[in-house]
Amino acid sequence: MIRDYLDALATALSFDPSLSRRVRREVEDHLLDAIAADAACDQREAERQAVARFGEPHAIAAEFARVSVARQARSLAAAIVVMIFVVFLAMKARVAWYAATQWTMAADMRPAGEIVLLIDRYAFWTSVILAVAGFAYMVARRIPPALHRARDRHLRQVSLLCTIAAAALVVSVISDGLLTAFWLRDAPLRAESLVPIFSMALEVACVGALAWQIRTITRRAACARALENRCSF
Amino acid sequence: MLKGHLDMIVLAALAAGPAHGYAVIERIRHKSGEAFDLPEGTIYPALHRLEQAGLLSSRWVTAESGRRRRVYALTRAGERALAERRAVWQQFSDAIGGLLQGARPRRRPA
Repeated sequence: MIRDYLDALATALSFDPSLSRRVRREVEDHLLDAIAADAACDQREAERQAVARFGEPHAIAAEFARVSVARQARSLAAAIVVMIFVVFLAMKARVAWYAATQWTMAADMRPAGEIVLLIDRYAFWTSVILAVAGFAYMVARRIPPALHRARDRHLRQVSLLCTIAAAALVVSVISDGLLTAFWLRDAPLRAESLVPIFSMALEVACVGALAWQIRTITRRAACARALENRCSF
Repeated sequence: MLKGHLDMIVLAALAAGPAHGYAVIERIRHKSGEAFDLPEGTIYPALHRLEQAGLLSSRWVTAESGRRRRVYALTRAGERALAERRAVWQQFSDAIGGLLQGARPRRRPA
């Protein structure tokens, strides 16, 4: 009976594997304590009562899902600031490398390059402003943990700011990719080309990591909603 | 009503010292004179939530039985939060007490 209960709880939390493992171990420890304390009943009855006192597994999983989404939102708000900084360093390193090696862009690519550079700048600074605003909003606005609705709304707003910031960063990285392609177009493949290629790979990895985080938070929020809906019926 | 004060109740239970989830529930039951018999599963999400808010810290320890268990303790921020909530609760309790003491039963019409 205990195993079935723990399996149901762990399965409901499977969208967050580390939380699922931790909760399973904690709840198992709790139930074993509760059974040991219930000396008056036989083992099976003690197990039944311990599980009944603990509550419906999906209702408990719904509460944990909120915690998981909140943790993911906090981590996204911090990650996006770090990723933007890494992208900024990669961009600056590439530009410095072009200057140091006196690398020039082919003349026919310059007009297109200027337009892409303009898009790149606007997109990058948009992402900086939104990411910093999202992070500051996350840190500055302290909502008591018990106020579920206000906390959920706050997290949704932070996640939205971070998602728009990430989208702007994707536009900036695509623009960087185009600019790098313009720079490298007529250049023969040589050792010097590795620096722009490597810095571009770093930028792509950063936005990939952010996209993964956004996908995770979206999935967890959907699971949390599904669990809440299941419990409200 | 109890659910709205769950965080304060959990923080107050941990004010006596670090404890694992089951011990927190036992403390709540004992200190409230068996008045608060919460569904036990509601305590764990509250413990996780408070830990995430920085009001609790936790670590795995090995009990005498050899079982690994998660032990929770108040952080400094948790102690401050509890002190603030105690003060607010005291104020609220005094105000309600004053109101109830001053209230007179309504006279029934003859």
